Amino acid sequence: MSAPVIIARGLEKSYGRVHAVRGIDFEVARGRCVGLLGPNGAGKTTTMRMIMGLTTPSAGELRVFGEPVARLTRQLKARIGLVPQENNLDPDLSVRQNLEVYGRYFSLPAALLAERIPALLAFMQLGERRESGVNQLSGGMKRRLVLARALISDPQLVILDEPTTGLDPQARVMIWKRLLDLKRQGLTLLLTTHYMDEAQRLCDEIIVIDHGRILDRGPPQDLIDRHVKGHVFEVQKPLPSGFRDGQWEQEDIGDAILYYVETPRAFTEDLPEDVVYWHRQANLEDVFLRLTGRQLREN
Amino acid sequence: MQEATAIARHSLAVTRRQYLVWRKVIWPSLATNVASPLLFLFAFGFGLGAVVDEMGGLSYLAFIVPGMMAYAAMFAASFETTIGSFARLDFQKTWDATLATPVTLLELLLGEAFWATCKAMISATCVLVVGVLWGGVGSAAGALLCLPLLLLAAFAFATCGLVATAYARSWEFFSYYFTFWITPMFVFSGVFFAVDRFPAYVQPIAWVLPMTHLIQVVRPLVAGQDVALLEALGHVTYVALLGAAAFVVAYFRLKRRLFD
Repeated sequence: MSAPVIIARGLEKSYGRVHAVRGIDFEVARGRCVGLLGPNGAGKTTTMRMIMGLTTPSAGELRVFGEPVARLTRQLKARIGLVPQENNLDPDLSVRQNLEVYGRYFSLPAALLAERIPALLAFMQLGERRESGVNQLSGGMKRRLVLARALISDPQLVILDEPTTGLDPQARVMIWKRLLDLKRQGLTLLLTTHYMDEAQRLCDEIIVIDHGRILDRGPPQDLIDRHVKGHVFEVQKPLPSGFRDGQWEQEDIGDAILYYVETPRAFTEDLPEDVVYWHRQANLEDVFLRLTGRQLREN
Repeated sequence: MQEATAIARHSLAVTRRQYLVWRKVIWPSLATNVASPLLFLFAFGFGLGAVVDEMGGLSYLAFIVPGMMAYAAMFAASFETTIGSFARLDFQKTWDATLATPVTLLELLLGEAFWATCKAMISATCVLVVGVLWGGVGSAAGALLCLPLLLLAAFAFATCGLVATAYARSWEFFSYYFTFWITPMFVFSGVFFAVDRFPAYVQPIAWVLPMTHLIQVVRPLVAGQDVALLEALGHVTYVALLGAAAFVVAYFRLKRRLFD
């Protein structure tokens, strides 16, 4: 097995007195898709910016392709593609020109760009819009263009900060397909998302982060098994008087109680007849909420 | 050497991006940077030229043409690296996108300043051409010799603008820059009047401004007067040092602002 593409050890970042990242350790192996999940302000974007060399770490070690990020050469930097949270496309330029200008920042020869740009536009289903202005594109098309732009230098690592936020389901599915294609081609992906179905579908490994610290990590199914068993029963309050629920792992969410259960039958046998409940498979969202809490995050 | 060519290549890639965008907004851009100095030239050339017989030993037209060349260069360069650069830094996030590539902050800023210099030269050259047609240029050779000087000065004005952008938190901030930097250079640096006409307490302010030094060299050259070489060298050195210092300040301020 080859060396990890990203290695972070005790990685920290403070802005004045605000500690955005408080010492995290993780590795991203080649060809894997790793998801960084956490509420707003958890430190995800800061971590990604540090990997891109756009933010200088305050402490700790951060290596990309085996080199400390501060000493990343142009050649190594060119092997990283970024899909930032905000679409920072050039609004004054056409779709094709956006890719051309970006390609020149990577010193790609004109002949290579002439070949690669149509291929990328076709890959992202933007071929018909190559001469359109960026402002004429829909939200989904802009996002696809940002992804095409991130691929212009044929990178080995692609960092995606909320790649599908705000898109309609069709556009999300299309982007998922493309990301899975990239994974099949052997690219390493690091992504953040607020959509747990997206993380579950795309990621080999999840890192849950909050307040700048890692809360847990592992393959999606492992996290589900570990924190929320396999099944969730949501039982409405008030609970029937005869119901002795002490033996079940549970969480009070106000107007109802959630029970995390491995074998549903054992639980339903315990349940009085007249109780109102809702039974569903446990998912990553349950893990996320259990680990990071249910309070609203305003930043 | 290899690194130097890499820096040049990446900087020029940034400059080329600005050029591409400029081609799409060429008319409003020319209106600001070319038509506006020409309007000043006509207004003052006809208006004041009718009542002022001579200024600093020159006809008023010959006096004002080099002043307007310098002003056109200064204004175009300043506008580009303040309003223009801040848009790319702040609300378009163009700089963020650029710095995610192998382009470094140094190259980004050089590319921005190069392009501002190009725009300044377009403006100054247009004023020069009108000046020649109008008969306000005494020495064509001297005027041509001015162009590299204007180029250097435009780069310095551009880097001064980058300092303002580096400290700007909002658009409103630039009203300080325009009121206390651009406007003084417009009124105190000898564009319209010889600097020695101002009261003694204004003179030190005038001589702090790089524009004053630029005009001191450009005016005699364009008019075909004798130029004291050593003195001219002093003026040019002042402008160059100020530009270099501004670049260093802008670079380190932005480095902290963007990366820390």
